[in-house]
Amino acid sequence: MFLQLKNINFKYDGNHQYVLKDFHLQAAKGEIVSILGLSGSGKSTVIRLIAGLEVPAGGTIEINGRLVAGPDSFVPPEKRKVGMVFQDYALFPHLSVYENIAFGLSHLSKAELSARVNSLLELINMSEYGSRYPYQLSGGQQQRVAVARALAPKPDLLLMDEPFSNIDCELKQKMRGEIREILKSESATCLFVTHDKADLEDLSDRSITIEPN
Amino acid sequence: MKKFWLLTLSLFLLSTVLLTGCGGGTPAPAATKPSVEAKEVNIYTSRHYPGIDDAIYKSFTDKTGIKVNVIKASGEELLQRIKTEGASSKADIYLTADAGNLYLAKQAGVLQPFTSPALTKNIPADFIDTDKMWVGLTMRARVLVYAKDRVKPDDLSTYEDLTQPKWKGKIVTRSSNNIYNQSMLAAFIAMNGETQAKEWAKGITANFARQPEGGDRDQAKAVAAGKADVAIMNSYYLGQMLSSKDPLEVKAAESLGVFFPNQNTTGTHVNIGGAGIVKSAKNVDNAVKLLEYLSDIEAQQKFAEASTEYPVNPAVEPSALLKKWGTFRKQNINLSKLGEHNRRAVQIFNEVGWK
Amino acid sequence: MTKLIRGFNETNIWNLLAFLIVAATVIPVANLALGVLPGENENWRHIREYLLKDYVVNTLILFGFSGLFASLIGVSLAYLVTVFDFPGRRFFQWALILPLSVPAYIAAYTYSGMLGYTGIITRALSGLFGRDISIDIMSVPGAIFIFTFFLFPYVYIISRAFLAKYTASLIESAIMLGKNYTQIFFQVILPVSRGVIASGSALILMEVANDYGVASYFGIDTFSIAIFKVWFGMGDVGAAAHLSLYALAFIVFIILAEKAIRGQKRFAIATTKVRLLTPHRLRGAKAAIAAGYSMLVWSLGFFIPFLQLVAWSALTYEEVLDQSFLQATVNTVFAAAFCASLIVCCAAIITNSARISRSRLVRTAGKLTAVGYSAPGAVIAIGVLILFIWLNAMTELFWSYSLITSIYMLLFAYLVRFMAVGCNSLENGFEKIGKTYFEASRTLGFGVTRTFFKVDFKMLLPSMIGAFSLIFVDMVKELPLTLILRPFNFNTLATKVYEYAHDERVHHSAPVALIIIAICSISVYSLSKLDKE
Ligand SMILES: Nc1ncnc2c1ncn2[C@@H]1O[C@H](COP(=O)(O)OP(=O)(O)OP(=O)(O)O)[C@@H](O)[C@H]1O
Ligand SMILES: [Fe+2]
Ligand SMILES: [Mg+2]
Repeated sequence: MFLQLKNINFKYDGNHQYVLKDFHLQAAKGEIVSILGLSGSGKSTVIRLIAGLEVPAGGTIEINGRLVAGPDSFVPPEKRKVGMVFQDYALFPHLSVYENIAFGLSHLSKAELSARVNSLLELINMSEYGSRYPYQLSGGQQQRVAVARALAPKPDLLLMDEPFSNIDCELKQKMRGEIREILKSESATCLFVTHDKADLEDLSDRSITIEPN
Repeated sequence: MKKFWLLTLSLFLLSTVLLTGCGGGTPAPAATKPSVEAKEVNIYTSRHYPGIDDAIYKSFTDKTGIKVNVIKASGEELLQRIKTEGASSKADIYLTADAGNLYLAKQAGVLQPFTSPALTKNIPADFIDTDKMWVGLTMRARVLVYAKDRVKPDDLSTYEDLTQPKWKGKIVTRSSNNIYNQSMLAAFIAMNGETQAKEWAKGITANFARQPEGGDRDQAKAVAAGKADVAIMNSYYLGQMLSSKDPLEVKAAESLGVFFPNQNTTGTHVNIGGAGIVKSAKNVDNAVKLLEYLSDIEAQQKFAEASTEYPVNPAVEPSALLKKWGTFRKQNINLSKLGEHNRRAVQIFNEVGWK
Repeated sequence: MTKLIRGFNETNIWNLLAFLIVAATVIPVANLALGVLPGENENWRHIREYLLKDYVVNTLILFGFSGLFASLIGVSLAYLVTVFDFPGRRFFQWALILPLSVPAYIAAYTYSGMLGYTGIITRALSGLFGRDISIDIMSVPGAIFIFTFFLFPYVYIISRAFLAKYTASLIESAIMLGKNYTQIFFQVILPVSRGVIASGSALILMEVANDYGVASYFGIDTFSIAIFKVWFGMGDVGAAAHLSLYALAFIVFIILAEKAIRGQKRFAIATTKVRLLTPHRLRGAKAAIAAGYSMLVWSLGFFIPFLQLVAWSALTYEEVLDQSFLQATVNTVFAAAFCASLIVCCAAIITNSARISRSRLVRTAGKLTAVGYSAPGAVIAIGVLILFIWLNAMTELFWSYSLITSIYMLLFAYLVRFMAVGCNSLENGFEKIGKTYFEASRTLGFGVTRTFFKVDFKMLLPSMIGAFSLIFVDMVKELPLTLILRPFNFNTLATKVYEYAHDERVHHSAPVALIIIAICSISVYSLSKLDKE
């Protein structure tokens, strides 16, 4: 299994109730899994745990055979090679669209970098917007940039928290197709949260539902 | 890696403990220094007459080639600094505007005895500590300042008289936090005993025109404003007001008279500005030289003129203004008593509710 | 606690640094507190019997009223200048920070001069009514007045920055829901900005707690005065420590209150869209009231004392100003700029690790710096002195340099004193940014340190510059530490003012006070330019 969560327990600081109790999840390499569940059931929390933004209170997380969270070890997010699209996008306000997408690509040469960024801008249909700043974009445009930014470093594992919620149907369909192609061609694993049946059918290989604890 | 945290924590604790230990005890003595004196002398001073003192130090340097280094703060703060610094202190002279502080310094064991023929010649024995730990340099009187239009000098007689019911709501003076009042009450304790002193403080408190506030100058203004008839304050503040650039202030000061109380009994309360040589001083000879200079005619004259205090050197005349106010008989007590009874004085003030 | 981040990683280095800085700033005071056992001796019994009640009551009254009035004035003015347009708005926007440039002790001397018998206000009132009318400023209400009008900008600055950036949509939706502007102020603005108000008034209360100059001149017994009196006057360290415990309780109270008011949930606004509000234009009587209110506060907190100082300076500047002031100005500006930069860097380390750390210990460590800001200056001074005597003894063996007569001791004391101001400002800065950018950067492969320099630093920069100006201003005004700890022959503008003011020659201190105000005003002005962006 490429991704494996075992017996995960988790609660937020200051809350008494566990959000996740004895939670299990696995995904094979190259698999695209969608996560469903009621609002507040803990979907975002699962994603954040996998990314390394939260520390589990118990249980283990393995990515690609490596233990990234367990009783005595914790791998920080920047060493996990995961990409993440945040529910609230989190585009850096002081960087342009181009610079936001290029942010995780500092290991590339200038030419490689611009080729990569431009192809991603094309993917999200925003080639003309490279020099704009996030506050000059609409909600859906920001979301697209966030997806491109997460895809840019070619992560082994892509995590997306409601990545298409603000994008119109037509464009959504196109992006889904292209993202699926990219993921498959790089045999990257992907977990994404959604409320949309169409997302589920078009993009994912399999879906799981999180029951509220 | 819990070890890492343990290490950090223990480092922190260790340093705290070390520091605490050092705070509680006396610091280790400084390594012995070569005994050659530098051409300098270091003063911790609470005198705050910027123009005058600096000028006097400068002419001392011009004469002797000895550089004068100065730190100014309040007398209490500087004494605490010297005490804390202990043997590593760089201070040579502790100069302050109150005998009480000099006594406290002596009690704390941070001063050393010193003398020289010039000092004994310049300074009357009254103004030299019994153990030669400090000398007085200037003298000030705590007098009664009254409103000329409402009070006749004949109505005034003694500090004690101010506790009479006829002065109810007519007296102002500053807060008991101030060392001037503390030393005054300490003098009464020394001369009249604790019970009488407390009675006096109680009587004055009962006659206050208002709760104590502000400095000595503010008391004079309150009298000028008609809020009170008599202020107990140091004379030189009135002198400063008279030479103010603000015509209103001069006018206010001119409506006030100065009265030296207790002339027929115990004498007017006086206090001194004076200096001691710090025990750990590295430049003792230079320090003595500076004190000799400060008590000599030239410097005493400057003190007298500029700060409207009384010179201690009998060879020097007080300023014209002070002479106009006339001569007076001063309290005849050893000034060390002011410090000796300081703590009790503070307690009495609190007990009688003199804010 | 057992779920600390495991392993020796970057976060630990940040934490360690933060920990060391906090320790360094807390040790001088903690050292004193731990070094002496609070004594149950005669002095303490005396204090308890005659004085303690006054100390507690006075301190509480000063805290309560100064905090309340300053917060109300601060927020209401911030609301006024961001939401409305009225004549003079652009000017007041920045000018209302100016009262911060007047040291409280100078304000106290100036007002009591103006309200004294020979003072201009008393004269004018008497002329007007034909009899002597005098206002007694040297009282508890007077002290509340001084603290309110010269410290309210702490709340004003921080709530204006907050309102201008983050409440446009709130205000607009409230209007759509049929609320008027007064209702919006009480039902929306006050609750939403309670976090920033709390943090601004915490700074005010700490300033009130550490004040010595105003209270001692006005003859008000507060804890600061009491500690000074007992320790320095009576030489009783034990009783002073006992009093300090009480004072410490007040500080802990301030910190807890701030935390409680802010609430558990940090109010970070994560949208990338910052929309500025179009101010609502006021006309007629309403415009006049808005302008009049701003004018009144500005005049009382700055313009009137400023004019008085100018008038006094005209009388005395020839006598007072000489070459030594050039040196004092250079000293002041150099020390203030150097320490302010250093403090901002240290505060960035402390607040950043507090933000990223999962350990409650580290997260609250930054709050400990409040001790340095709220303790009386004389206490900190002696604490620092003890530390340096100890360091001096350690280094003396191999290094003949005398630390205790060096400027480093004073500079270090400034760090101890003002670290809390830096932490407070940057904490608010981080709170405004939120944590998602940090997280986004982490998932894109950047560690804590690189994230700090590539992402956080850029976004935090305005807050850092803001913190710098605030600390700079505080430092230029600083008096007690400088007095006690300065090296030989070292003067700042504040110590120059003290020399005259302590001798009750307030006219003579006016020219120097004006130089201080001028320097602080420049800093304050640049602070306001920054907010515009
Ligand atoms: N920072 C936090 N502190 C405390 N509790 C939190 C925090 N974030 C989330 N929670 C709580 O944890 C639970 C799970 O939250 P989570 O964000 O994972 O839900 P979700 O399934 O993503 O919901 P949605 O579909 O609305 O995004 C919720 O009950 C929420 O209130
Ligand atoms: Fe004096
Ligand atoms: Mg969610």
